[in-house]
Amino acid sequence: MSDDILFVSNGNGKAIFLTSRAVLVKSFCSLSKTCSFKDSCQSCEIVDAAKSYLMGKKSDLNVKSLDGELSAGIGEYKIGKNVLLKVMGLGSCIGVILSDVSTGICGIAHVLLPGASNSGEAKYAETAIENMFEDMIRMGARKNRITAKFAGGAQVFKHMSLDILKIGDRNAISVEETLVKRNIPILAKDVGGEVGRNVIFNPVDGSMIVKYTKGEVLWL
Amino acid sequence: MILMTDLGNLSEVELDVLKELGNIGAGHAATSLSKLLNKDVYLSVPEVKVGEIKNISSEFIGEIVAGVIIALQDLEEKKSGYLYIMFPEKSARKIAGDLFDMEELDEEMYASTIMEVGNILSSSFCDATADFMDIILLPSPPSFAEDVPAAVIDSVVSQMAKNSNHIILFETSLSSESDIEIYLALLPEACLLDDMMKIMGQL
Repeated sequence: MSDDILFVSNGNGKAIFLTSRAVLVKSFCSLSKTCSFKDSCQSCEIVDAAKSYLMGKKSDLNVKSLDGELSAGIGEYKIGKNVLLKVMGLGSCIGVILSDVSTGICGIAHVLLPGASNSGEAKYAETAIENMFEDMIRMGARKNRITAKFAGGAQVFKHMSLDILKIGDRNAISVEETLVKRNIPILAKDVGGEVGRNVIFNPVDGSMIVKYTKGEVLWL
Repeated sequence: MILMTDLGNLSEVELDVLKELGNIGAGHAATSLSKLLNKDVYLSVPEVKVGEIKNISSEFIGEIVAGVIIALQDLEEKKSGYLYIMFPEKSARKIAGDLFDMEELDEEMYASTIMEVGNILSSSFCDATADFMDIILLPSPPSFAEDVPAAVIDSVVSQMAKNSNHIILFETSLSSESDIEIYLALLPEACLLDDMMKIMGQL
């Protein structure tokens, strides 16, 4: 057993743990805002459940193990089954997640530009979403079960002389229009603002975790 | 003649030319910074990286920096590229504090000070390329953002990505004895590369 990715939930909260050699190395917890340990998890019901799972012990809580993680670079998309999906360092870019919770097939796109590409390049919103959608169906996802979540499109510049840097809003609009046109239900979105984001998708419960570069974490 | 250099296939010589441009520019920027702060400033050996846009996030440091972006234009108002000057937060506060001889600055003052430092650095960068390579680059007024570099650079990358899937990143760092660090990245458009290659061809 090496490098498990665990999802643990109880009545109060839920958390994703990245592990290395059976040690918890990183967590994304829905309780981090109110937790006195912040990100340096020490001990609580959820952490203890993850630790006992790693030691091969049974726990009272629901602990699920994911089959690895995939990260999409700028202008790429990645699809997988029961894997943790990530896009990191989003400024004006958008992380678009499509998922079919019934089969566990999901995908994430790191959209860079609004509109569509003539040559099928996934850096454009429309092209990325359509190609990813088709790939997921080929992999076994059910067309009418696919739903979407997306986040990003910030305007990180406080003082700006270049209009071209205002591309975040246009990206967000393009993503939303494409999803509406394709009749893909939008379950959650978190766009705009002035702070960069990391977006993570947990296929076990279908939640999108938005971690702002300045610390705040949202589970959507 | 337009050469439209294919960014994915630059030769060693072409990379050296690019490195030299960055070197000269950064050298002048270091001199200005040294005068401004009245301290010795050291310049690291520059690195030129040609990579696919999708991998660019991994080229940058993961911490939050104060960043200044400046667009570069030639005399015909063609986009030549962008300069991205990154100040790790500790360095940015130190520079602003030193310049005003104050411990704490209000945020507005802090941002405009860093923008001005970015302005000075980019102007000397452009002066150097004009002097040595006869390439006139006009810097735009600075844009300021505080975030992780990957999140700041993506709007610039989106502009460049319309034409190319590759990006050239020229990176160097300036540092001084009092632990000030500044990272400088030049993202040249294909037309700037073409101009440089033409000039180097004439030498």
